[in-house]
Amino acid sequence: MALRIDRFALKKPAAILGLTLVAIHLVLALFSPWIAPYDPTALVGGRAEAPGEFLLGTDVLGRDYLSRLLYGGRMALLVTFTGVVAAVSVGSLLGVAAAYYGGLLDDIVMRICDIKLALPGILFVSLFITGFGESLPVLITLIGLVYFPGVIRIVRAQAMTQVNLGYVKAAQLRGESAASIIAREILPNTMDVVYVEFAIRMSHAVLLLSTMSYLGLGLSPPTPDWGLMVSEGVGQISFAPWLVLFPAVFISTLVVGLNFGAEALANALGMDAARGYVGGV
Amino acid sequence: MTPVLEATGVNVSYRRPDGALAPAVIDACLSLAEGESLGLVGESGSGKSTLARALMGYCRPGGVITSGDIRIDGRDIRQMAAAEMKLLRGGKVAFVPQNPLSSLTPHLRVGSQVAEAVRIQRGCGKAEARETALSLFALTNLPDPKALYERFPHELSGGQRQRVVIAAALAGNPRLVILDEPTTALDKTTEIQVLELVRDLRKRLHTSLIYVSHDLNVVSEMCDRVLVMLRGTVVEQGATRAVYRTPEHDYTRRLIAAVPRIDREPTGVAPPSSAPPLLSVSGLGFRYAHRGGWFSRAPEAGRPALDALSFDIAPGETLGLVGESGSGKSTAAALVAGLLAPATGTIRFDGAGLPGLARERTQEQRRRIQIVFQDPLSSLNPRQRIAAILERPLALFQGVTGAQARQRSLALFEQLLLDPHLLDCYPRQLSGGQQQRVAIARAFAAKPDLVICDEVTSALDVSVQAQVLALLKELQQRSGTACLFISHDLGVIRQVAGRVVVLRDGTVREAGATGAVFARPADDYTRKLIDAASRGYGNLPDPAPA
Repeated sequence: MALRIDRFALKKPAAILGLTLVAIHLVLALFSPWIAPYDPTALVGGRAEAPGEFLLGTDVLGRDYLSRLLYGGRMALLVTFTGVVAAVSVGSLLGVAAAYYGGLLDDIVMRICDIKLALPGILFVSLFITGFGESLPVLITLIGLVYFPGVIRIVRAQAMTQVNLGYVKAAQLRGESAASIIAREILPNTMDVVYVEFAIRMSHAVLLLSTMSYLGLGLSPPTPDWGLMVSEGVGQISFAPWLVLFPAVFISTLVVGLNFGAEALANALGMDAARGYVGGV
Repeated sequence: MTPVLEATGVNVSYRRPDGALAPAVIDACLSLAEGESLGLVGESGSGKSTLARALMGYCRPGGVITSGDIRIDGRDIRQMAAAEMKLLRGGKVAFVPQNPLSSLTPHLRVGSQVAEAVRIQRGCGKAEARETALSLFALTNLPDPKALYERFPHELSGGQRQRVVIAAALAGNPRLVILDEPTTALDKTTEIQVLELVRDLRKRLHTSLIYVSHDLNVVSEMCDRVLVMLRGTVVEQGATRAVYRTPEHDYTRRLIAAVPRIDREPTGVAPPSSAPPLLSVSGLGFRYAHRGGWFSRAPEAGRPALDALSFDIAPGETLGLVGESGSGKSTAAALVAGLLAPATGTIRFDGAGLPGLARERTQEQRRRIQIVFQDPLSSLNPRQRIAAILERPLALFQGVTGAQARQRSLALFEQLLLDPHLLDCYPRQLSGGQQQRVAIARAFAAKPDLVICDEVTSALDVSVQAQVLALLKELQQRSGTACLFISHDLGVIRQVAGRVVVLRDGTVREAGATGAVFARPADDYTRKLIDAASRGYGNLPDPAPA
């Protein structure tokens, strides 16, 4: 596929910083079982030890903080990545189909989006979690549900610019099936938008997941999770500030990296990242 | 007397993303006396618009005037301070762009926009500015200036908007007006009205004029002198009649020979045939329905886009369908192609009734009717290589795949004089003319009996248009394919079509053999179109067969 990439846009300082941060987080998350010095759930030291013997200290129960942070990243990326991939795939297909078929399907799909966008985000999240419980599949489904309406809107708008172009008409006149027109003609020409959508939604999702865990709506202990670690550390902030500081740094470097990365990707593909944002939590 | 404008050694470059400078105008020299008009002609990318902007010290983003001496009334504008420059533009030098809608602020009434220009340039009060704006509206022949003053840009027609922009350009009593393709977006008959206005104003106000256009006829009519540009260089300049009649540069000669003319006897147009028609359309009608929202009442029925259109096309014949925008000619193309289903009337193809929509037709019927669209770039999937674009119809309609399909594509490429290595390129890497030839190759890959050409050359430059038309004609003759050729350009229709149908507002005004209709139009509207098309022919050399 011929993505027209402006290589200069990827060489700007912000772009390099963003892509490097994302790369570091990916490596740490992927290889955490080998990098982490201890089992993240094992009690290995004293309570809330300051960094020293344990590189980043221990938590209130005496578990190695570095190991928990590394595994936490693995968990955060697993949940958000799977959820956002689901949101982007389903959203893109529905968006393109709505744009191509128009009429009733378009109306129904768009009204579903409107309903979702009209619900207050945190309310939706807490109702969903209360109803279905806190488990990995539920969290992934939730991330997917939160983000797919936005993806539909963006992808539908992009696809709408394509459906009346000559190459789509030519395919219709050849007698191609709707599935073939969507898959071969329209979808490839909306991929730029889909990639950028993916990067932006990832950064939103990481923040959302951390917020949920902090509020007690995300993963439950003893699973290592950054938001949960911040929430557990808040009580000790006056004498063990690193308990809040380290997970906060991990969250923000990942989010900043994803944001800069999305911006760089959008510039490289010749569009405006700000345009890609519709609603959110 | 000092000339109004004198420019020597003007060089303009654009900065590429990697920082290097790409020259767009190279060493241009020109001068313009008071009241004189100069035409800048050239094909797209020749640098004519860039030069016109540079003459008022302006460049599009990324552009730099690298050197040159540009004097207006003897003052070097490159030495001017920013404030002085600001008053110069819109004052002594005014600019009229191609698209009037983009130069008017959508949320302000047009009157106040012109009055503001008057206030800035003449330093007068609000009431006086309003009076001046109203008199400028009257000067530009705008109907009912007082009512028009209160309108918003979107409430005006294209011709009216262009008049408002011209009125604003006159706000500062300019010595020089630069017009950049001011009528390209307008219909031929509206264009004539705007051109007459510009000519009349020039005579009355003694303003000098620089007229940028790709249309040699318009320049011939409007300008005393003409300057021909090719790839950033001025290749020829002189009195319009001399340059047109006895061009010195080879490029100018080719450019002038390429102008499609209605007074030139065409070659290679199939004679009328008495064979039973291949396509027979009768009483075709269509109306665009506006789909209402959930809570709106039944959609209002508008004026029909097409009303009772009937024509026949014999095998191998070319029928021209001509009309201005909104005449329904593209709707007719969409109906025959099967993109729309007719509301009334029937289409018969090779003796059998043809279902409305393409998906209701048989694969064989779809193969036999192919279409080529106006905009070549958007008719090719940007994410597919040319080879893939051609292989699809070959596989679907001819059952040819793999190496054999490549062979067939190469054969088509040879007939259309396309370089074989372009097969592995993406559409964007091709020039406009190459893209349109690929689109033609895709249509002919199906070995059709009828090809619909919907304004296939109107996005192309004159010389490219001539080449594409010649190749299309040759391909059509060799394969015996019939053609429904749709165009707004009578000259083009004359060169390709044996018979012609003139459309206006969805109804047929006149039909018959092209030569006869163009020589002796029976209908007033047709006559108006022909008059509009043959303007500026006075300076052109005597017609010779194409």
